[in-house]
Amino acid sequence: MFSTPTITHWLTLSALLFSIGLYGILTRRNAIGILLSIELMLNSAVLNIVIFNRFVASDDVDGQVLALFIIGVAAAEAVVALAIFVSFYRHRHTLDVTQANRICKEGSSTP
Amino acid sequence: MYSGTVATFFFYLFAVSSVVLALGVVLGQRLLRSAVCLIGVLGSSAGLTIILGFEFVAGIQVLVFIGGIVVLLLFAIMMTSEGHTFERQPSFARRAFGSLAAAAFFAVTFSVYMNASFPVATPEALAVSHEGADAIGRKLLSNERDGYIVPFEVISLLLLAALIGGIVIARKQELKEE
Repeated sequence: MFSTPTITHWLTLSALLFSIGLYGILTRRNAIGILLSIELMLNSAVLNIVIFNRFVASDDVDGQVLALFIIGVAAAEAVVALAIFVSFYRHRHTLDVTQANRICKEGSSTP
Repeated sequence: MYSGTVATFFFYLFAVSSVVLALGVVLGQRLLRSAVCLIGVLGSSAGLTIILGFEFVAGIQVLVFIGGIVVLLLFAIMMTSEGHTFERQPSFARRAFGSLAAAAFFAVTFSVYMNASFPVATPEALAVSHEGADAIGRKLLSNERDGYIVPFEVISLLLLAALIGGIVIARKQELKEE
């Protein structure tokens, strides 16, 4: 039953994590909850790339470099998203994404 | 890549713990608890990366994902909660739609994986350990055809832009200028 993990085992695990993140994005209402799910999906993408680097392109390091880029972009994305959430919360006192239809104040064009 | 009974055991251990904790992230009603579960998922994922033999990437994952992003998320949760971090259970239609979409995605991906044949290297080639860090550094800074110097420079600009953007967006509104 517990056979040695092959590439299919690894990829299935990664796809499972990605699907769980997708479920979270579709069901959460809180913006930070959605961001948590996005981090889950980014993490599974990193895992997927690293798996292919190991099993298919074992001699190269391109997959690891790409994983580092994804991690960097994830950090930048988290910073900007959280800044927007904090600013949004200051104006509206909620983070419910179903209530978010504008980011400007009423009647002005600047945030 | 590590192989053998111990590596297999740790693979299943990390796999089960990461899936269970990921479900905790998604289904939990307290956001703070979800964020703590996310730490567990990312830690298990770093463990899986170590099993694959990429210690450097695993270290970066721990440093940036757990040490940076999750801590930032915890700060944001505490700054925007005012005591009601509790999130209501989503409606049944929402949950049904979400689980249907996620299950459909997983089914398609899984069937593709089962039918595809990947050009997997031989076990002897997989057992060879490639010391990653120095090769990664050369690859990042090489300007040959297969080097990554341009994306490396671009991502430094991206990080600078994110830094400035984060400060400008999140600062308090300044007083009206006279």
